[in-house]
Amino acid sequence: MEAGSSLSHKSEETEAQGDTVCTEVKEHDAEATNPEDGIREAVAEEAQNDECEGSVCSTEEEVVPDEEKDASSDKELSDSASTDNTLEDSSEFSGRPLVVCEKKELCSPFGADLVSSHREEDVTAESWRMHRKHVFVLSEAGKPIYSRYGNEEALSSTMGVMMALVSFVQSGNNIIHSIYSDDHKVVFLQRGPLVLVSVSRTLQSEIQLHSELLYVYYQIISMLTQASVARIFERKKNYDLRRLLTGSEKILDNLLNLIDSDPSFLLGAVQCLPLSSSLRESLSQILQKATTSNLVFSILIAKNQLVTIVQERTVIDDTRLDPVDLHLLLNLIRASSAFQAGEVWTPICLPRFNPNGYFYAYISYLDPDCTVCLLLLSTDREAFYSISDCKKKIEESMATHNSIQAISSALQSHSYSISLLGVPDLRHFMYKPLDIPENHKQLTQLTSPEVEAPYCSEEEKVRLFDLYRYLHSRIHSTTRPLRLIYHVAEKETLLAWVTRKFELYTCFSPLVTKASAINAITKLLRWIKKEEDRLFIRNPPKYTTASNTSRGSRSSRGGSDRVDSIDNGFLTLL
Amino acid sequence: MAAGTQCKQYPPTLLSFFIYNPKFGPKEGEEEKKILFYYPNEQEKNEKIRNVGLCEAIVQFTRTFCPTKPAKSLHTQKNRQFFHEPEENFWMVMVVRNPMIEKQSKDGKPVAEYQEDEILDTVYNAVLQQCYSMYKLFNGTFLKAIEMGGVEILKQRLEKFFFRYLQTLHLQHCDLLDVFGGISFFPLDKMTYLKIQSFINQMEESLGLVKYTAFLYNDQLIWSGLEQEDMRTLYKYLTTSLFPRHSESELSGRDPPVRMPISGSLQHYGRFLTGPLNPHDPEAKCRFPKIFVNTNDAYEELHLIVYKAMTAVVCFMTDASIELTKEFCCELDRLVGPQLTMLASDICEQYNISRRIAGPEKEPQFKFIYFNHMNLAEKSTIHMRKTPSLSLTSIAPDLLKILGDINSDFARVDDDEEIIVKAMSDFWVVGKKSDQRELYVILNQKNANLIEVNDEVKKLCATQFSNIFFLD
Repeated sequence: MEAGSSLSHKSEETEAQGDTVCTEVKEHDAEATNPEDGIREAVAEEAQNDECEGSVCSTEEEVVPDEEKDASSDKELSDSASTDNTLEDSSEFSGRPLVVCEKKELCSPFGADLVSSHREEDVTAESWRMHRKHVFVLSEAGKPIYSRYGNEEALSSTMGVMMALVSFVQSGNNIIHSIYSDDHKVVFLQRGPLVLVSVSRTLQSEIQLHSELLYVYYQIISMLTQASVARIFERKKNYDLRRLLTGSEKILDNLLNLIDSDPSFLLGAVQCLPLSSSLRESLSQILQKATTSNLVFSILIAKNQLVTIVQERTVIDDTRLDPVDLHLLLNLIRASSAFQAGEVWTPICLPRFNPNGYFYAYISYLDPDCTVCLLLLSTDREAFYSISDCKKKIEESMATHNSIQAISSALQSHSYSISLLGVPDLRHFMYKPLDIPENHKQLTQLTSPEVEAPYCSEEEKVRLFDLYRYLHSRIHSTTRPLRLIYHVAEKETLLAWVTRKFELYTCFSPLVTKASAINAITKLLRWIKKEEDRLFIRNPPKYTTASNTSRGSRSSRGGSDRVDSIDNGFLTLL
Repeated sequence: MAAGTQCKQYPPTLLSFFIYNPKFGPKEGEEEKKILFYYPNEQEKNEKIRNVGLCEAIVQFTRTFCPTKPAKSLHTQKNRQFFHEPEENFWMVMVVRNPMIEKQSKDGKPVAEYQEDEILDTVYNAVLQQCYSMYKLFNGTFLKAIEMGGVEILKQRLEKFFFRYLQTLHLQHCDLLDVFGGISFFPLDKMTYLKIQSFINQMEESLGLVKYTAFLYNDQLIWSGLEQEDMRTLYKYLTTSLFPRHSESELSGRDPPVRMPISGSLQHYGRFLTGPLNPHDPEAKCRFPKIFVNTNDAYEELHLIVYKAMTAVVCFMTDASIELTKEFCCELDRLVGPQLTMLASDICEQYNISRRIAGPEKEPQFKFIYFNHMNLAEKSTIHMRKTPSLSLTSIAPDLLKILGDINSDFARVDDDEEIIVKAMSDFWVVGKKSDQRELYVILNQKNANLIEVNDEVKKLCATQFSNIFFLD
């Protein structure tokens, strides 16, 4: 119930912040005094870690009313040496109550990976400098929290300089945004007590790099919540946040790799697994039938692509799941091979939905090959068993419908080939519809075929994606947005077009004429229209059948509110 | 809504401009020695040191990632700083306040909203580089000044030059043309061109001292003996500073252009724009500005003589080590004056003939800018007139910035490219790059489609640039 109340506060986040925080602390107390918690049993091979146990106990001693702690925070900061441990421990666990489970799950399997990864790189070497994109996260005290390449400790002086620049500019009552050199862009983002810095050799725009940093920030928040990060640093300015993020580097690494290759992040949309609408509908119904109280989202994923998503109407009537939150969830699952072990129950914050509250995520794969994954989100920390029952129900009905097999055959072709369209000269495209029924309430989606020849090598793939990023940054420029871009270059011809109904980015062979490119676009749009039921989730199902009281429509993100006087007859524009 | 009407718009303005050398005050407590020039000079000493310190830190920080290509600009919410290292360890920094809109908040207090993305880096980096080129043209390099007379001499020169120069920057009117820094050439038939050539040869022969000559008509260049880079800066000085100053004084009638001829010589309209107003006046001082050219190798110091008759201008440059006498000036006036007057009317006549052949000018459906990187030739029908105080453009500033965007997209690769965009205002903008040449066209045909736009630009290329191949 407490978790539910924190959800209902979402509209008044700031005021509710204090409440939510208290709620979490209390929750944690409950957990600490009840070591035989159901959640722990649920996690396979659960063995109490000495360190964790010690911390849990010390928390119990340390727990004092929050107000009192805040009042004495100054004192705590001044003689930090003596209060060091207790302070850290208490904030650690009140901030992230169920981290214990997740930590154990996530940590061990990655141990080996981490050693061989970029973490051990020599940060003075030329190869380190040559990385296309560095990302750093540090605290306001200049303490390193994360670096995409190289060991944070080795980079502490570099990060110290970054913080010095941020605070120097700040002292002049100003905010640092970015530094440009011939080869690099350095973009700064400050969110609460965290400073994020991107150093990029790509041609991406500052806004794009900025939004990537925001993704990194949100991923951190999804593990800790905004309120607890703020609280930790309020109490102790030079706290080492890496203590709470041990094992999570891989999640951030994976996120950054995805951002550099997956158009979903660029377009702020989700790509669905193309599926016949009847199959998708039957899967949705299976999910819809398996409900329990406090279950708010049921999400079915196959090989990192969304199959279907069912959401609770009463809780989230007039909001939709933000693509950002879904990306973070998908990335968490993708990055954590440990989830394949069995059933996982972990607290997770959906920062765009409510940066200060936790959901409880149940994650389990439904087939031995770990291709189909079920993700159930609940607001109730104690609901593991009832959620697990839902999974059993879903598993059973999917077995009777032979659903796994159906999904697997759809997965045979990862996405779809451009040759399927029969449009000559068209090499690749990305399409984001803005005219799906009740668009403002729906997950923003996109469709894009597989990347094929001549973009076979990794280098060429990156180049193509960079071209799309360039088109996107120009057409969505904050100060000088455009309706259409037609770009003829040596290796390809590009066309980007934004109307009220869609956003389209296309790549043609370089010899295409303007007339044939327009012809191709017409064909492409017709094909998408024909296939839209397969490519997109058109009518997302809800759990309850209560009549939908539609409220004032929200304008959706992503420039869809632009006024286009002539988009109804696109041929006149082209 | 009443609050909305209280908006006040502020253009980008120069906040500060400074030049420093980090090697000049490496010890703590001596930081002030690094500063060679600082505008505004009234700025408190510690504040100056702090701002220089920030620039040093930014440059140093970016060297962690690429030692050879350090920072060129710093973007903050309120302002943008541009860095330029024209000579080793000498840094020039220009701080521009972002344009902003001041809105009245509900409680009546003004709230500033900064428009950070409204200024283009390429434009202001070019402006900063121009600052150095212009300084160097009249003062030589920083290093040379120090070799000659120490840091104090350099400081004095910087102070003297930039005190005036910075007031002529007019940052709100800078645009793509500043990036090109091109030269507008006067179109001419072969015969007239040869006449000019022979005039120049004759004058160089007769006057003896002349090392270089440049010839302009109607503010457009016809002939130059200088290196391209030097001519680019000199051209900029002549057309944005020297000529406008004189035409203003002509208009105000302070300086009657026609002098009565001294006995024996023909009547002519010639006069000096630099040096003596009237060389025949016994009181006249024959002092000409000095310029420095070929600073990378020969390092030549020259006198700049600018002489004008009607709209024809000839620049003679002579070795600065030889003082120019009153006799020389009189001789020049006597020789050049009548011939240049004749030449000017010849050119005018030829020009009118060729215009008549081309037929009456129709108001075209498009405006364009053309630039050739090889000879710096530039042509714009967007800018009607460029004076030091303002540039009159006939199109919306946003469209001009889209041209700037396309230009920086072109700069990324060396290949030939074409970019066609449709702005939110439904204007079409076409950019073409072909073999060092760039052409930008703005079409005011809102209902045209891509193919029609393409045809329109093809027609333009056929009539205006028939000898240049552009990607189709």
